[in-house]
Amino acid sequence: MQRIDSNEINERVFELTGYRRQDFSVCLGCKICASVCTVNDLALNVNPQDILLSLFMGMEVDKGHPLLKYCTNCYQCTNACPWGIRIPEVIRAVRENQGIETLFERVFKGSIRIWGRVYEPYIFLKTGLFLAREGYLKYMPKWTEYMSFHLPKKVKIKTGS
Amino acid sequence: MKILIIGGGISGISAAKVALAKRHDVTILESQREPGGLMARIANCRVGFKTFFDEIREKKGLTVINDTSIERVERAGRGFSVGLDNGETLNVDRVIISAGLTPYDPVEYKGKRVVTSLEYDSIIDQRQGELPSDFHKVAFFLCVGSRSKEYPLCSSVCCSYTIREIKWTLQRAKPEITVFYNDLRFFGQEFFMERAFRDSGVRFVRANSRYFDEDEDGVTIRYFAGGGIKEERFNYAVLAIGLRPNPELKTLSSLFCFSLNEYGFVKEKSPLTTDAEGVFVSGGALEPMNIKDSILTGFGAGFLASRDIDAKDDMKHYENIIYREDPPDFDIPVADHKTYLFYLATDNPRYAYLYEYASSRFIDAARMMKMQKRNVYVVTRNMVTPSYGEMDYEQARREGIVFIHLEEDEQVFFDNGIFNIKGTGRDISILNPMVIRLDDYIEGLKDKEFLSLYRSEPQLRWSPTKWDRKRYHTGFIRHPRDKRWEERETLGAIGEIILNVAEERVLPQVNEERCSGCGSCKNSCPHEAIEIEFKQKQLAVFGPNLLTYIPVAHIKEDTCAGCGLCASTCPSDSISL
Repeated sequence: MQRIDSNEINERVFELTGYRRQDFSVCLGCKICASVCTVNDLALNVNPQDILLSLFMGMEVDKGHPLLKYCTNCYQCTNACPWGIRIPEVIRAVRENQGIETLFERVFKGSIRIWGRVYEPYIFLKTGLFLAREGYLKYMPKWTEYMSFHLPKKVKIKTGS
Repeated sequence: MKILIIGGGISGISAAKVALAKRHDVTILESQREPGGLMARIANCRVGFKTFFDEIREKKGLTVINDTSIERVERAGRGFSVGLDNGETLNVDRVIISAGLTPYDPVEYKGKRVVTSLEYDSIIDQRQGELPSDFHKVAFFLCVGSRSKEYPLCSSVCCSYTIREIKWTLQRAKPEITVFYNDLRFFGQEFFMERAFRDSGVRFVRANSRYFDEDEDGVTIRYFAGGGIKEERFNYAVLAIGLRPNPELKTLSSLFCFSLNEYGFVKEKSPLTTDAEGVFVSGGALEPMNIKDSILTGFGAGFLASRDIDAKDDMKHYENIIYREDPPDFDIPVADHKTYLFYLATDNPRYAYLYEYASSRFIDAARMMKMQKRNVYVVTRNMVTPSYGEMDYEQARREGIVFIHLEEDEQVFFDNGIFNIKGTGRDISILNPMVIRLDDYIEGLKDKEFLSLYRSEPQLRWSPTKWDRKRYHTGFIRHPRDKRWEERETLGAIGEIILNVAEERVLPQVNEERCSGCGSCKNSCPHEAIEIEFKQKQLAVFGPNLLTYIPVAHIKEDTCAGCGLCASTCPSDSISL
């Protein structure tokens, strides 16, 4: 990690979010975001507050940070955050700034380029290998549980114990 | 004069006490079935409230109207004509608003195993019978429903009552206790309690969580600490809920024409006075505060409301026994450093009461440095900015001061111009900062006689400013904290003096002929109110040695509480009550 002057650098990141720097710097450091983060379902030990802190301190965010790779923009952190800090926006801005594009973004864009809309079979085809390799699939039962939450009562699928 | 007190909580009763001591007619309006307020909802505080209230319950001039609310208010001359919902009309001269606070209700998290601290309090209440059979692991979560976007103030009491709930729990059972906190905002001697509980195995984790996976026999909690996500199962999770302004204050403000601030609390024109004439305010209607401060502001508002009838009852009258001191100057060393770093931490609970004072000073200094376009860091173990202090803290965060919150196991090192923070999962280094530590400022404050440090909690609660009968501490020297408290404390001290003067005491008398000056009474006195004096005595009528000095016990009337321990200890029965 490289230390640079915290006042100038990372301004671009905050600009890209579309919010003011102070909307993020109200962070209390309570780590509620980490407790609800869905990336932590994969046992990756991420703390979204890390990214904020390194931005405030004027440090380059580590390119290999798991959040940059895995964040799904689910906004669980923003929901739970006492200050409603929009962490997914920051992560997207950092990705943009560092030129990182996740597989999903690439595939979604590809799908739109070809069909003009999100075409699920294409997406599953393209990302299936990634999901299997990264261990996402063991959460399949949990996801069905999440999904079935929105189904009518009769169709509800029972999973787990 | 007739004084109306709205709200029969602890601060309303305190105000009534002072007004009754000045022989005014007092009417207390209570919306519930009986007085008590928030304090009486806590099982272990109920007795204290009852004892306090019983002292005035039978007094002449006191009327308590329960189960009532105000329908209409009209100004009648300099006073008010107040219509109640049962058709009664009261004519009063002065009004004290002590409507208190409302606890936040976290409906989105609550459940059978995730309980609020008030619900938990009734679980561990001895009068409710046995504890639940599975009571092995309990987790406490602080700052629920406060310090958020929706309600930015700190409730200033959650940490304190959590540490008391731990105490009451450990008195009955020995569960494993974990406290998840953002900052531990204790008051005075409570830091010693924290240290004692740490030593006896209570775990403190600097992290918070909203991941509560609850089922029939427990709750699974996920939290981030020590560089990793941890999942743990607890029998109960206790949410330390914040305190919000009473929604009734809105109605009262439109009835009595005083204004509220943006958070819903009463706006003070001058200390404990609203901007409507003849309307005073005390307790939780001002800001979130603990029982000690509620009593203190109650005394103050009681004094203000009963003032100006006899002209000699002016504030100058009391000035010689109210003791205050100006806080020492806080100088930041001026240097060319691009980076300033404030290190706010102390391991010694003896100096932890300075956190509150130091936090606000450090924030002020940090904001000043930030205005000069420097990089400012605040590395902190504990940021103590209760109630409105939280606003400054928020402002500082918005201005771009970087706060680094140290976790329990993290250590700091400063050498060769590099400030290093090391812990499991985190390694931060800050190059070439100008470091300002709390320790540098402790030196000058070591020898000061802070009342909050020398008095235990109950003593501070029932006599909030008394050092002894000739000296009442207010402001910085009572407890080092924000300036807005100084004037309130002075008013509270006057209320307390009025009560102390009106109090009837039985003082022990020493029979000096029989006293042998053995000193056993001096050793037994818990208030250090006895000293051994040497009295001159004539030995012989003629001769070279005419005079001698004999030791005799002397009772200091200012400090004596009239407990009678000396009379029962005296081996020669020379002290009587």
